[in-house]
Amino acid sequence: AEAKKVKWKLAMTWPSTLTPFASPSLKVAKLVEEMSGGNFTIKVHGKEKHKAALAILDMVKNKQYEMGHSSAYYYKGKSISTAILTTVPFGMTSTEQYSWYYYGGGEAVTKKVFDKFKVNCYPGGNTGVQMGGWFKKEINTLADLKGLKMRIPGMAGEVFSKLGVNVTNIPAGELYTSLDRGTIDALEWVGPGMDIKMGFHKVAPYYYTGWHEPATELHFFVNQKAFKKLPAEYQTILTVAMKAVSADMMYENFDMSQAAWAKMQKDFPNIKVKTFSKSILDAMKKATDETMESYAKKDALFNEVYTSRKDYLKKARDWTEISEFDYVKTSQMVE
Amino acid sequence: MESTNKSLLRLKRVEASFNSFIDKMGRVIAWVLILMIFNVLFDVVMRYFFNNSSIAMQEVEWHLFSILILFGLGYALKEGSHVRVDFLYDNFSVTTKAYINIIGTLLFLFPFALLIIFGSYEYVMDAYTMDEISEDPGGLTHRWIVKAMIPAGFIFLLFAGLTYILKHIIIIKEAKV
Amino acid sequence: MIGIYMFFAALILLSIGYPVAFSFGAISIFFGFLAAYMEVMPDGGTLSLVMEEFFSMFSMMPFRIYSTMTNKLLMAIPLFIFMGIVLEKSGLAARLLESMGTLFGKLRGGLAISTVIVGSLLAASTGVVGASVVAMGVISLPVMLRYGYCKKLAAGTICASGTLGQIIPPSIILIILSDVFGQPAGDMFRAAILPSAILVGSYILYILVITNLKKDLAPAIDMGDQTDVVRKALFAIIPPLLLVVIVLGSIFSGIATPTESASVGSVGAILLAIAYRSFSFKMLEDAALETAKVTAMVIAILLGATAFSMVFVYTGADGIVEEFMMSLPGEKWGFLILSMLVIMILGFFIDFFEISYIVVPILIPIADAIGIDPIWFAILIAMNLQTSFLTPPFGFSLFYLKGVASDSIRTVDIYKGVIPFIIIQITVLASIVLFPEFYGFNI
Ligand code: NA
Ligand code: NA
Repeated sequence: AEAKKVKWKLAMTWPSTLTPFASPSLKVAKLVEEMSGGNFTIKVHGKEKHKAALAILDMVKNKQYEMGHSSAYYYKGKSISTAILTTVPFGMTSTEQYSWYYYGGGEAVTKKVFDKFKVNCYPGGNTGVQMGGWFKKEINTLADLKGLKMRIPGMAGEVFSKLGVNVTNIPAGELYTSLDRGTIDALEWVGPGMDIKMGFHKVAPYYYTGWHEPATELHFFVNQKAFKKLPAEYQTILTVAMKAVSADMMYENFDMSQAAWAKMQKDFPNIKVKTFSKSILDAMKKATDETMESYAKKDALFNEVYTSRKDYLKKARDWTEISEFDYVKTSQMVE
Repeated sequence: MESTNKSLLRLKRVEASFNSFIDKMGRVIAWVLILMIFNVLFDVVMRYFFNNSSIAMQEVEWHLFSILILFGLGYALKEGSHVRVDFLYDNFSVTTKAYINIIGTLLFLFPFALLIIFGSYEYVMDAYTMDEISEDPGGLTHRWIVKAMIPAGFIFLLFAGLTYILKHIIIIKEAKV
Repeated sequence: MIGIYMFFAALILLSIGYPVAFSFGAISIFFGFLAAYMEVMPDGGTLSLVMEEFFSMFSMMPFRIYSTMTNKLLMAIPLFIFMGIVLEKSGLAARLLESMGTLFGKLRGGLAISTVIVGSLLAASTGVVGASVVAMGVISLPVMLRYGYCKKLAAGTICASGTLGQIIPPSIILIILSDVFGQPAGDMFRAAILPSAILVGSYILYILVITNLKKDLAPAIDMGDQTDVVRKALFAIIPPLLLVVIVLGSIFSGIATPTESASVGSVGAILLAIAYRSFSFKMLEDAALETAKVTAMVIAILLGATAFSMVFVYTGADGIVEEFMMSLPGEKWGFLILSMLVIMILGFFIDFFEISYIVVPILIPIADAIGIDPIWFAILIAMNLQTSFLTPPFGFSLFYLKGVASDSIRTVDIYKGVIPFIIIQITVLASIVLFPEFYGFNI
């Protein structure tokens, strides 16, 4: 029989030029087309085309686009449970999180959260540990955080505002200028690979290490009806392609970050890498747990996702500690 | 002759009462704008002098802005503020202009407004059934209300369009008398 | 290809004269349906599938409208317009013009020069072209004519000074362009300062030179005792100047975003009106009504243009334009010259809002691909669009002046009067293209 022709459209939260966030979509489109012998094509629209960056879930739900690429936590206004599918402060690393998703029950709870949107949600790339952000002055005590003006969205923003930080939301295009001129004192973005293009290192010398987004997951959304209508082999092609490009983005971002970090250090030797003090971290952890518990009390589904993640992290971390973590320490001993 | 005058008079009365409703709406959005100015100012002052920013108050800003722009569409139509390309239009006779405005409203404005009204039904309903709230901590709840301003604003535009047609029917009738 | 036809169909349909915003909406519906038909039918589609595709295309509109509603930068537009209208209604503009006129009157061409200066001040406090042309047409024109100024020079000066609001920051056009370009409005404002200062300087220089070459164009006037005049002039200039410094200063120093500064400016204007005893709640409400109308007009065009570009992109026409522009000889220069020409010619016929929302978004990705500095490109476009207010036969500035000058001046006087100023504008525009480094751009 002749192969069925299928034409899909995919909308991304990001502009088409934003590497590596745009990579999974562009690569999935290419892979799907090649694997289907040109019969299954996906047209990718960046933010510059649809102009509704944070409506990807809605648009996929309503089938204006069969597919979307975004991140679950942008939709926490619609369902609070999405907030912890992306990443959680002091939560799992990317390896731990992927294991949880594929082998530790993550896939099932994710499906529960997204079924009410009639959308399938798949991993779509991971940034790995994100940096804690760029600060214009050093943060030594909790008092230094009081009244600090910082751009930090999501759960971490909620945690920081509990510690007295003045959390503001400023559009990406205005961030550099705002930091430069002191409209804000600090901000967090991603990691060296993406931060370097924004130029923050030129205006804020303190680069704090991460705590709040240990494994930010991007997600593919696929309209359930559209997915069911696909011939079985196209379903397989799409699923495999999504899994491949999602891992691929993690490698791409890792590589960009190591290169950018080397360049930043060379061009701006004054950058000081800092880790928040124990007392600050304790307060952050406490505020994080309180925030999570309070949501878990209010929302049964949230509680289910939260518990699933928490239980898995406990098991996974025991292993991470004596494997990966210990190995890095061990190999450093002989350097 | 007598009866046409009477129907013209009736038409004029209807148009006048419709217009006065649109004018009332205009005054409402004028004060919404003034409110918005002080809302924005309040938020700046709070941030700089009291180191305190309320996400909810910042969201009120764009809620007011939404009312201003969406209900402004119909008001601006009534006031003749929507720009035209007028190098030909200016040379047309009064009746030709009136015909252009009637046909334009029917064929251009109405379909556009109707598509947006019906197209936003599911959009608003989604927000309503999911009980959507702000993505930011401390933000406003009941997001469906502000989203419902989209169809509401365009329904108001339809109403203003209807009044606009009446106005130009009267112009044509009066030109004939 | 269908998207390209759509573009030309829009130009034709617009010329009928029905409001632009809804004409764009209608064009999008018609071509949207056509595009859906051509997309679905070849794959063995049915009419109901075409309808489904078409409705799904348009059910994107609420998402885009919502993006506009939540756009904080666009919120600055009503705030700046309101500020300008309040300054205008409070009689501050009139006071400024009168005292400046007496101050510079004894200079040859002095009245014209004070018109340019007041025009720049008004421009710097707001961005409403109509208001300043009307104000100066009412106050300055009769005085210039009474003292024997050449009609063409008087009309040209008023029209040209009145359009300065478009380029002198803060300006609505720069806010819109910064939204379209995705660049910080503060950076746009900063980049516009030197070009607009050069423009104002060139106007003044031109007036000085021409009035001294042809001595009967603009005679010097004896204004009598000058002591009190200086004090009065300062009293009229300082308050609005202070407001401008506060508004622009807070944007440039990073204390506040353009939207926040605009709210400060609006409340400042209200306070000035109170100080000058011209405040009333009626005036406040009138200013707000006026603002609401202009804002709704801008947003309506934005929404119509949104529908238009949605269909345009759906048909892939943006790709065709991009390919064409990229294939031009001379790459960067070919593109720059062609895009400036297109904008200028379109500017003869359609408003800068339509150009900003329809044409500019098509050009941006190409400029980006060629590696043209976005702020530089935006300032070029803003300068270019400013000229469209002055160019006969459809420049807005010209209509406004004709509207208030009625019989004292003929249309042809206005047309002839603005020509030197258009030439000056084009010269300044060309100098920004040729010497970007001088204007502080790193190309
Ligand atoms: Na981040
Ligand atoms: Na201005």
